[in-house]
Amino acid sequence: MTDFAAIRSQFPILDQEIHGHPLVYLDSAATSQKPQCVIDAEAEFYRTINAGVHRGAHELAARSTMAFEQARAKVAKLVGANSAEGEEEIVVTSGATAGLNLLATAFGNASLGRGGETAKRFALKPGDEIVVTKAEHHSVLLPFQELAMRTGATLKWIDLDDEGRVRSDTADEVITDRTKIVAVTHVGNTTGAITDIAPIVRRAHEVGAVFVLDACQSVPHLKVDFHAMDVDFAAWSAHKMYGPTGVGFLYGKRDMLEALPPANFGGSMVELAWMDKEAQYMEPPARFEAGTQPVAQVVAAGVAAEWLMNIGMENLEAHERTITDELLKMGDIEGIRILGPRSNENRIGTVAFEVEGVHPHDVGQFIDAQGIAIRVGHHCAQPVHRHFGVYASNRASSGIYNSVEDAQALIEALGKVRPFFEVR
Amino acid sequence: MSDFEMSGGDLEQMYQEVILEAARNPHGKEHFAPDLASEESSQGAETTVRANHEYCTPGESHQFNPTCGDEATVHAEVSDAEPSTIERLVWDGHGCSISQASLSVMVDLVEGKTVDEAMKLADTFHKLMESRGKGLNDEQAEDALDDGIVFQGVSQYPMRIKCALLGWEGMKDAVAKALTAKEK
Repeated sequence: MTDFAAIRSQFPILDQEIHGHPLVYLDSAATSQKPQCVIDAEAEFYRTINAGVHRGAHELAARSTMAFEQARAKVAKLVGANSAEGEEEIVVTSGATAGLNLLATAFGNASLGRGGETAKRFALKPGDEIVVTKAEHHSVLLPFQELAMRTGATLKWIDLDDEGRVRSDTADEVITDRTKIVAVTHVGNTTGAITDIAPIVRRAHEVGAVFVLDACQSVPHLKVDFHAMDVDFAAWSAHKMYGPTGVGFLYGKRDMLEALPPANFGGSMVELAWMDKEAQYMEPPARFEAGTQPVAQVVAAGVAAEWLMNIGMENLEAHERTITDELLKMGDIEGIRILGPRSNENRIGTVAFEVEGVHPHDVGQFIDAQGIAIRVGHHCAQPVHRHFGVYASNRASSGIYNSVEDAQALIEALGKVRPFFEVR
Repeated sequence: MSDFEMSGGDLEQMYQEVILEAARNPHGKEHFAPDLASEESSQGAETTVRANHEYCTPGESHQFNPTCGDEATVHAEVSDAEPSTIERLVWDGHGCSISQASLSVMVDLVEGKTVDEAMKLADTFHKLMESRGKGLNDEQAEDALDDGIVFQGVSQYPMRIKCALLGWEGMKDAVAKALTAKEK
């Protein structure tokens, strides 16, 4: 059996007091904390092998290139993607937002005729449709909304049910023959609900649309296999999966990446450049990795991926489910409304809630005074909040290092909120 | 409130009774602006409330804090007679207890004052919020703020200063707009 107390002890940041109380960190959906091995990997890279990758011929350059590509392979393995040379399906980005913007920009370039014949599958024109859901983080909604505005395409969305779950059952109606792009979150960053994506993927492919998955909140918590899920693209960030900030990954089926025109231009993505002729771009993933990459952070993200695989995503899922069970008990406290599924089925340990009569900022302040970190605000998902008739909410979200006791500490503190603010 | 096991009474210092009471029963709050939390309201458009007093020129300002969604639409009516005086000050909006209480205390302080006096109070309140919990060290200024002095505890929390200043920014902007309209 996995010793999760021992795993927790690998996170030095958690060993401190906040406002005189032991720190309870329940904000992993915003960013996760980093285990010692990830922190060390970044420093060790700078201490021993730092050099430019994919350029130069000296020994350090060779070692850093190898470390960079090994990290890509580890990350690929975590999500069931290919990484053999010439078959790579993982593109390094500076974050999930950058990955999603890369896609929207590349689709826009294809719409302008760039990328030749093979890129036409991504091209949009007036009358075409882009479909998202109302559960999207702004980093999905806005790049694709802008893409619709640039190309004249229509943005449509799949609605949510009362619990905030994506209405996958309406995919056949919302996605039509005119739909070219479908972008859907795998796990709602506010609701914690796992989207039943299979019917949406199937429908998207039935009409010849490209399916993009926002995997930010799933990769750190669930065993995912992008091949098995049959998604065309997926974006997520390293910093939510116990890796460093400033790094993200974009998965693309190999044939999709090969057909996709570049979005960012510069060094290390071009084979031949002239003054008076069109450049000839490299094959993926290099085509999408213009400029100097955050190499130390990518290497550390690879260590995080390996660390997660050693623990086993199934073990992690089972552990977090016990915390979710405890967190969901807040729904029994008078005046607390969970904004998301009440039952611990097809959801993760991200639980947004409203305390009737107390503004989220005040709730967060009260909870923080007891050393417990939760998120308050709209969590970069305003439409899903409007769906629940609120502008902002509180959100507790679990990570690998949390214990049932952490969740209990929150529940106990939440019971005191309304009495403190004298809400009757 | 000892049964809340707070750290060093910081929380009590921030949420003083005056603040909790003002947040529960805020002064000057009326219903006239759209609500950003509603799916029906596509944007926080400024309303077109006319001046209640015929001898006044109205000005209105919509203030919004995107991190938490707190919003306040402040409506000020400035006398046509000199010296320019804030004859009516009302607001609509929603937010945390700090922003709501600050709006309420501001209405008590500013309504009926000349524009010059109001701007001086706004300046003093701003200085208090920048004091990092230390206060103003100026008895006269602290007296002028009256109940406004209870926000000294809030100034220790950088993340909450904007909450306390939201309404005051709205008041300054609404009055400036009224003055501009009056000159035309």
